[in-house]
Amino acid sequence: MDSAEVEFAIAQRLAVLAQLSFVAHRDVVATLPAIRSFGADSAIKWLATAEALFSHDREAGKAFIRGSKEAARAFRGVEPWCAHAQCFTAWRGSGSAVQAFMDALPAAAAVGPAVDSWARIGLDWCARHLDSGRAYFETPVGTLLGAGDVNDLRQLLAPAIELCSERGLALGYYLPGALRVRMLAGTASVGPWARQGGDIMKSGRNRGELFFALASEESRAALLEHLPGFQPLAHERLLQILLAVWFGQSFDLKQSDWMPGSGRPFIETDGRSLFLPAVLSSREEALVAVWHAAGHLAFGTFEQKAIKELFQAAGLMHPPLDPDQAISWRPLFLPYGEDQARFEVLFDLCEDLRVDALIHRCIPGYLQQLQTFSDGSVAANAVPYRRFVRHAWHGLADPGVRDQRLAPLWAPEARPIDAFLVARVLYASGEFPVLAANECSDAYPPAHGPNAARPIYPRGFRETGPARAANPDVGAEKRDGQSEASRRPPKETQGSDPDLEIPPEDTAGAGGRIGVGLPQPARLTGRRRTRTFLASGRAYPEWDYRERRFRARWAYVQERALDERDPGEAARLVAMHRQTLRRLKRAIEAQKPRRLAPRKRQLDGEDLDLAATVDFVALRRAGLAPRPEIYCQRLPRRRDLAVLLLADLSTSIMERLPDGARIVDRIRAALLLFAESLEEIGDPYAIAGFASKYRDQVSYYPIKEFDETLDARARAVIGGLSGRLATRMGAAIRHALARFDQASTSRRLLLLLSDGRPADYDDGGDPRYLEEDTRVAIKECTDRGVHPFCITLDPRGGDYLKRIFGDGHYLVIGRLSDLPAELPRIYLRLRAA
Amino acid sequence: MKNLLDRLRGVERDALKEPRADDAPYYEPQGNEIMLFEAAYRRRLPVMLKGPTGCGKTRFLEYMAHRLSRPLITVACHEDLTSSDLVGRFLLDGDATVWQDGPLTRAVKAGAICYLDEIVEARTDSTVVIHPLTDHRRCLPLEKRGLEIEAHEDFMLVISYNPGYQTVLKDLKPSTKQRFIAIVFDYPDEAIECKVVQTESGLGDSALVARIVAAGRKARALKDHGLQEAASTRALVYAASMVAAGVSPIDACRSAMVDPLTDDRELAEAMLEIARAHLSGS
Repeated sequence: MDSAEVEFAIAQRLAVLAQLSFVAHRDVVATLPAIRSFGADSAIKWLATAEALFSHDREAGKAFIRGSKEAARAFRGVEPWCAHAQCFTAWRGSGSAVQAFMDALPAAAAVGPAVDSWARIGLDWCARHLDSGRAYFETPVGTLLGAGDVNDLRQLLAPAIELCSERGLALGYYLPGALRVRMLAGTASVGPWARQGGDIMKSGRNRGELFFALASEESRAALLEHLPGFQPLAHERLLQILLAVWFGQSFDLKQSDWMPGSGRPFIETDGRSLFLPAVLSSREEALVAVWHAAGHLAFGTFEQKAIKELFQAAGLMHPPLDPDQAISWRPLFLPYGEDQARFEVLFDLCEDLRVDALIHRCIPGYLQQLQTFSDGSVAANAVPYRRFVRHAWHGLADPGVRDQRLAPLWAPEARPIDAFLVARVLYASGEFPVLAANECSDAYPPAHGPNAARPIYPRGFRETGPARAANPDVGAEKRDGQSEASRRPPKETQGSDPDLEIPPEDTAGAGGRIGVGLPQPARLTGRRRTRTFLASGRAYPEWDYRERRFRARWAYVQERALDERDPGEAARLVAMHRQTLRRLKRAIEAQKPRRLAPRKRQLDGEDLDLAATVDFVALRRAGLAPRPEIYCQRLPRRRDLAVLLLADLSTSIMERLPDGARIVDRIRAALLLFAESLEEIGDPYAIAGFASKYRDQVSYYPIKEFDETLDARARAVIGGLSGRLATRMGAAIRHALARFDQASTSRRLLLLLSDGRPADYDDGGDPRYLEEDTRVAIKECTDRGVHPFCITLDPRGGDYLKRIFGDGHYLVIGRLSDLPAELPRIYLRLRAA
Repeated sequence: MKNLLDRLRGVERDALKEPRADDAPYYEPQGNEIMLFEAAYRRRLPVMLKGPTGCGKTRFLEYMAHRLSRPLITVACHEDLTSSDLVGRFLLDGDATVWQDGPLTRAVKAGAICYLDEIVEARTDSTVVIHPLTDHRRCLPLEKRGLEIEAHEDFMLVISYNPGYQTVLKDLKPSTKQRFIAIVFDYPDEAIECKVVQTESGLGDSALVARIVAAGRKARALKDHGLQEAASTRALVYAASMVAAGVSPIDACRSAMVDPLTDDRELAEAMLEIARAHLSGS
């Protein structure tokens, strides 16, 4: 084609465009020189594309022509984007998509050869759903590709293809969330996250869209679940077990509200619970971080007295408690004005070192482990802080290189005030640079973090030294004082029992688990506002350990029927645990031969008992006249074990577990499985529940008696179980004992299923009172030939159950989800023994 | 001497073990148990050894039998153990019958120490047989033969009994219990346990032994978390023996102290974590 022909071709195209539209012609004329600079062929091709697009859709054509100058400059030509743009003629109304495509081109030029794949993927999306294609092109190429290549992008979008075709989910909803998930959790996590979203989408479009936009709570939770790294709360039981081993006490672990992208994850505490972020970088670091945070609680960082000392040292009055009885350490740092972050970090580090030194004494290998963690990249200003801590750790292991200024921290009896004073010295030394707000978190070494990130509930003062409390052998008694402060916060009474509707202010007693407070002498008599004493039901004595005598006719037990019934729930639970039940039945089947074992040495029967026969013949030969008991009987042996399961139905079972289920759901399932198993085994059994409110209203709820069958009513009652009121265990046990008179077996077992220590509204906050009474009630059981055994859901159960039930007569269920399967299994084990 | 012993191994020997003239079995006293046992022996009072599995009850008895130069006869009780298994029975021999003494009868005749291990496992009727032996009568009635044997002057009855979870429904009758002098055993003190583990396993590195023992003792705190039996001194000896045999300390702990004790994955992980904390870097 010579130049004249080229000019002619261009003029022809321009003429067509001029006919089509004035605006198009004007824009093309303005852009043409820039295109022509890349050659006449390019210009002709470009003009053809512009014409095709414009005649297909005015908006598309305009967008193409206007974006071309930039695109041609970025690509140094019209390839390959012209060809791609041509494809838009396949769809009607593609104007905004073309606009987005053209806008994205200058940036796309930078990705090199991948641009073709990028465009093809986008065009495929346009073919599926034009708006989705537009959303694709509107997302910057750099963001789409991220750090990976085109395959990565394909993998990212793969779930969306399915979601689009099956659920009609537009890419615009999917992409921002998916990109964020990929950024935080990696490409591999996008798939599972999207699958979950798809399932949610099924249950409701709105909910699904919120999920994909990462706007709903469940999608955030799903994201956290898929984050790479170690998820400490998924290993809560492991942590709890090890915490109990290392510190001789249990801690309340909760999930903090940390979200990826919001900075470094730290473990926080409010003086009562440890708040763990959803994910920590590695298992080792997470474990050490948990030990460290627990060390602060165990070794007095947040003790009331220590905090008082701190404020006195700073010349401040004791800080005012906020309405929630929590305090903040902020006032301590205020005097440092602009520079308070620097002092705060130094104080935190010193206090961390003090705690590290103490933990080092009770967890072997702790310090070595700490030193193995690498610092990673940190802000330059934070480096001296990191170096300081490393050096201090080194000095802790090797006294030769110790920094003398830190000496007060290494003493076993060091207190937070010592850390405060050392921090002042360090602050004055000027070795540490000023930290900007965003650099503070870098100053903390691995597995450490700010100590006062939340308002603190001061812990009760502990008499004993930390070194001794760390020894589990001697910790049992002293731990009480501590658990007083760490006891669960007060719960509202559910009042779900219509028989016991009472004004809520009347239930705000100070008993055991129900209320928290300093122990006060039990007040068993005395004024009780508007209550009148109801001496109905059966009276039982109660043991008063302070007077070392029984209080005659003290607790009154009334039998009540449980009115709430939920047959549907019962059926659902049985269906849910069908697998477990099947396994249990197999286990029972395995035990059965023993039960059906022939009775040996009988006077008559179907089979000869060979051993007995030989004995018999031998004795005859020896000149004796033995009894001819030489037969076996195939009849089942007389059932010789009766069991009564007594369940604690106090309010606390309504609590929710971290996985969303309530304790009561597990108890319902456990009771159902227990009943079904017992039906299979054939032992006589009874099930009852109890709750109490004051000594005159102990309720005993028979659910199934020994002589009843497990019918629909009993199942429905179990299905409808709910928690109410408190736990006056002793009276309920005494009442249950009488039930065994119905059972004519030689062995009797009283299984107690509980989730906490005995407590009632009128125990005056003295946990020991009802504990002692329960202990005496248990002794009455053994005296009556009933074997008691307690199964508790309270991880702290070991503290007091040993005293009440004696060694080996209780069991702490570590994992609540195991309860339904575990309860019948425990019975089988006890029975087989 | 060792050669002679080696030759004796794998040879059938009488259940009634005569005390040998050579060294006593290794036993490390934990408290006053030797004194108590000797006093009980002087007055020929029956003794009950209470304590958890693997804390050294049986070894103690072997040691005492040697120390007092008495033969020892051990009966491991099980739930099908009948009184004739203890006392004896008639056997057919051609046309005649022969009476064969049970282990208890042999001990009564020979003046041995009779050790009924895990007595709660036996059926109640068999435990009642021992009643006349345990009070002032000191005699054993052989009902089937219509005889009664007065116990040898040196005869002594010892039972062991492991109070714990398995025995909630199975317990000795109080009337049986109170016929015994009870000696309570527990896992020994840390220092003694180190010495026991080192001597028994032959592991030379005493610092390593101390760490294994420390790990085991920490793991005992898991008993409230679903572990039915804590890691016993015997388990620690096994762990140290495995190390002495060339296994790495952590693997040894896992194979001797963790995996045998629990099938619970998390519990095993926790125990392993404890072992790792104590043993890493060794």
